Amino acid sequence: MSNSISSRKKIDSATIISAVIVACIYVAVFVAEQFVPATSMLFTVLKKGATYALVAVSMNLCNGFTGIFSLGQAGFMLIGAYVYGIFTIPQAARMDVYQYYNGGLVQFTLPWFVAMILGGLAAAFFAFLIGMPVLRLKSDYLAIATLGFAEIIRALFQWDKLGPVTNGSNMLRLFPAFNDFNIKGANGQVTVYLSTLVPLLIAGVCIGIIILLINSTFGRALKAIRDDEIAAEAMGIRLASHKRLAFCISSFFAGVGGAMLAMYQTTVQAKSFTTAMTYEILLIVVIGGIGSVTGSCISSFLFVAASEWWLRFLDQKQVIGGFEVPLLRNGFRLVVFSIIIMIVVLFFRQGIMGTRELPDLIRGWQRKGKGKEAHGK
Amino acid sequence: MSENVLHIDHLTMRFGGVVAVNDLSMDINKGEIVALIGPNGAGKTTAFNMVTGVYTPTEGKVILDGQDVTGKRPDEITKLGVARTFQNIRLFSSMTVFDNVLTARHLRRTSNFLTATFRLNAAEERKMRAETEALLKEVDLYDLKDEMATSLPYGKQRLLEIARALSTQPKLLLLDEPAAGMNPQETEELGVFIRQIKDKFNLTVFLIEHHMNLVMGISDRIYVIDFGKQIAQGTPAEVQDNPAVIAAYLGVDEEEGVQ
Repeated sequence: MSNSISSRKKIDSATIISAVIVACIYVAVFVAEQFVPATSMLFTVLKKGATYALVAVSMNLCNGFTGIFSLGQAGFMLIGAYVYGIFTIPQAARMDVYQYYNGGLVQFTLPWFVAMILGGLAAAFFAFLIGMPVLRLKSDYLAIATLGFAEIIRALFQWDKLGPVTNGSNMLRLFPAFNDFNIKGANGQVTVYLSTLVPLLIAGVCIGIIILLINSTFGRALKAIRDDEIAAEAMGIRLASHKRLAFCISSFFAGVGGAMLAMYQTTVQAKSFTTAMTYEILLIVVIGGIGSVTGSCISSFLFVAASEWWLRFLDQKQVIGGFEVPLLRNGFRLVVFSIIIMIVVLFFRQGIMGTRELPDLIRGWQRKGKGKEAHGK
Repeated sequence: MSENVLHIDHLTMRFGGVVAVNDLSMDINKGEIVALIGPNGAGKTTAFNMVTGVYTPTEGKVILDGQDVTGKRPDEITKLGVARTFQNIRLFSSMTVFDNVLTARHLRRTSNFLTATFRLNAAEERKMRAETEALLKEVDLYDLKDEMATSLPYGKQRLLEIARALSTQPKLLLLDEPAAGMNPQETEELGVFIRQIKDKFNLTVFLIEHHMNLVMGISDRIYVIDFGKQIAQGTPAEVQDNPAVIAAYLGVDEEEGVQ
């Protein structure tokens, strides 16, 4: 039947080209890692960028694709980071880390990926609990409630009474970090560098799963809720369960992202998961384009590169040909950064990508190319 | 006696002090086209909203196929076979024509989010797509399937809303002013279309409409309400000659009244 063939979702050349581009990036990173010194800022940006990309895409799933304006991302990241840290500190190091709590309560160690998934599940569980009352709220009320939740979580994890588990306000450390992915030879020398590739792969797999979800029948239902709740409900889509689903899955991946952040930082401390972190993620989502996974990925790498690397020079005294550039001092970077963000928000309101994805861009170029060819003839 | 599809039993809806619908009772039988008419603000859409679960009636019951559905959520009622369109078009604006109709198939899924994400429902998804294509061909929207829903001309958007409602596989189709904003020719075509889909999809149709030509042309029976109260019912011919209906539509002098 011709019907069954055309009704299949077409995998066109644009999708294949996109997959090839992504694969090339991975290969390039792998090669670069072997030859460029490991201390290069490039790798810092890629590691943190991968972490932020995952969290930004998870936030986009909630805020961009479902229309639930949640600001709890830092809270869910915190849960993921702590669960990861608590369960992966090697037995030998526990006495050292939990020095004020007699070695702590948890006396076993899980493999890193199990702890990472557990971190995601814990975040999703908290999302399920908080979602019951909070998801009844609309837009700005929901934002305030989730923001409050993140603050409560931050306070809770610093609570002295929970110290045997969370180490109170002291930091968790000595758990496996990104650098432990490097394969070392017998003499302790690194033979294969993987400390950047693995985080990129983790983020890539997670984002891939989110893309699969978005393009499934559930993804369509979520977009329907975003477009028109009343119509979606009239078409038989149960609002409560679908919103909860999006919220929990988004939080799951925020938790995994939190675990990645812990690995990137090598230490975890509750007080660093501030509202400012949520705003950073929100900015990435807005700059990239609300409702575009590609946009979130691109803008998180740009954001991290700009704030950690390219704009660093603004924080130091610069002398060009005997002339000292005025204004440059510690903190000036943030001023410039804020101005850039204001320009983006004012003049590129759709963000970098709008709601388009990489294959859409390629399709656009293909069409343009064809148009030119036809014109030439 | 034909089979009863929808029985509305003494429905009343109060919003604070306002009585929007007052003690309304209706019966709709299988295969009928029944219209609910009345002047602006008579409570027609409120009646619709009570049937579809948007409002829970203050008093009274909604019986669907012998089952009491009063107070059920809209999505539950849609699952039981009641689909609707909206007076002011409510399409999914970020989606194509195809996806709008496809999304309305979501409620008949057997997959959960895990099987759907990891494509273990591929066969079901293919079937949903094939059915959507067939439906779009049926309603003559297939050529527009890749257009954005909101970029369609107005009349086509109305048609798409009906197609989307049909995609939920309803037994009872509720149309809220389907001809609003259409020109006379489009309205006439719509009348033919409603009759066609009724037969093709084995539907019962319940509609609210202002275009009298359309209502009188396609309805088997008509209920007339004014100020939330039923003032007449019967065949189009009976209703047209009913003095209370004429009074409600054209207005009457207070002194003369309707005796």
